[in-house]
Amino acid sequence: MRAEALKGHLDGLILATLAEDPAHGYAIAQTLRERSDGAFDLPEGTLYPALHRLERAGLVRSVWSTAAGRRRRVYSLTRSGDGALRESRREWQLFAAAVEAVLT
Amino acid sequence: MSWLSDFEAELTARAVRPAVRERLLAELADHIACEQDAAPALAATRLGEPRALAGQYADELASDDARHGAWRVFAALCAAAAALVLSQVTLGRFVGYPGFDRGFSVALSLPAILAMLVGPQVALVGGALAAWRAIRRRREAALPAAEIALVRSRAQVGLGAGMVTMAGLALYTANFIGVAPAWWLALSGTLVGAATLALVWARSGLARSSGTVALVAGPPGDIFDDITPLRRLRGHPLALCLGSALTAGAVVTLAEWHAERSLSEGLQRGIFEALALSIGFAALGRTVGARR
Repeated sequence: MRAEALKGHLDGLILATLAEDPAHGYAIAQTLRERSDGAFDLPEGTLYPALHRLERAGLVRSVWSTAAGRRRRVYSLTRSGDGALRESRREWQLFAAAVEAVLT
Repeated sequence: MSWLSDFEAELTARAVRPAVRERLLAELADHIACEQDAAPALAATRLGEPRALAGQYADELASDDARHGAWRVFAALCAAAAALVLSQVTLGRFVGYPGFDRGFSVALSLPAILAMLVGPQVALVGGALAAWRAIRRRREAALPAAEIALVRSRAQVGLGAGMVTMAGLALYTANFIGVAPAWWLALSGTLVGAATLALVWARSGLARSSGTVALVAGPPGDIFDDITPLRRLRGHPLALCLGSALTAGAVVTLAEWHAERSLSEGLQRGIFEALALSIGFAALGRTVGARR
C-alpha cells in the first residue's frame, strides 16, 4: 500500500500500536508492518515526525531508555491519546461502513 | 556521506533547533541500528529520503511552533488586559481618577493615556486574529509558509501593542506618585510587572517559532477566511475600513454619551475612535491580513 493511502490514518495507527504497550520507533514500524502483513510499507522515517507531533499534542509521552548501549526513546499513550484513539476508531468504522456500502 | 549525516545536514539547512535535531538523530540512529541487527541489507533504505523527511519534519515543527506562539501571545495579552482593567477599576472605584494634568507631568500622562487607549485595541485585533487562525488550522500538520508568516506577524502586532499598553500603564502609574495612594501605586506597579513578565514569556515562544524554515507552498489567507461574514467585502478594503471605523465610532459615541451624560463628549471620543481605527487599518492592515 502506498504511503499516500495511509495519509490521515497514520496517527490513529500509531496510537493503536501504542495502546497495548509502550514502544520505540522501530518497534512501532515493525508492528505496523507485521499486523498489516506487509501492506503498510511506508517510509519508516515518517513515523518520527508523526510521533513528535502526537507528543506535542499531548497524545503520547516519551522517555529515554538504554538498550544495547544505545539511547532509545520509548513512547506510550496518554489519557488524551486513549480518548483520541477511541475517536479515531469510531471515525474509521463510520468511514469504512460508508465506503463498503458504496463499493459493494 | 551516511544517511544520518545527510539527514542532519538537511535539518540544519531548515534551521531545526539543535535540541530537537539531536533527539531526532538519536532516535533515527537507534532505528538504523535495530534494522542492521535484523536485516542489514535494508538498513536506512526504509527510512525514506533524508531531504523529504527533514522537510516534512521542519514544515510540521514550524507550523506547530507558530500556533503555540500565537496561543502564548493571546494568553499573555489576556493577562495584560486583566492587569489594565484591575488597575483602572480599583483606581476609579476606591480612589477616583485624578485629572490627567494632576500628576508629575502632562508630558508623561498624555502619551500614557494614548498608549492605554490605542494599545489594547491593536493588541486585541492582532492577538485575537493570530489565535483564531491558529485554532482554525489546528488540525493541519503543515501549514503553508506564507500562512505561518501571517500568524507570526499578527502575533507580533498583538505582542508589540501589549507591550506598548503596559509601558503606558507603567508611565501612568509613575506619573501619579505622590497623587494616588501608595497601595494603589504598589498594586498597579505589581500588575504591570506580572503582565510584562507574561509578555516576555510569550515573546520567547514567538521568537522560537521564527527559527525553523517552512517551505510548503500556498496562500497566506486573509481576514475574510477567518471571519466568513466579511467575505462579501473581500476586494473592497476601503469599505471594510469605513464600515469598521463607523461601527466602532458609533459604539464608542453611544457608550460615552451614556457614561458621561454628554453627547458632545461622546461624539469627540467616537470620532477619535473612528480615526484611530482608520489609521490603524492603513498602517497595519496588510500585516494582519486585512488587506492585500
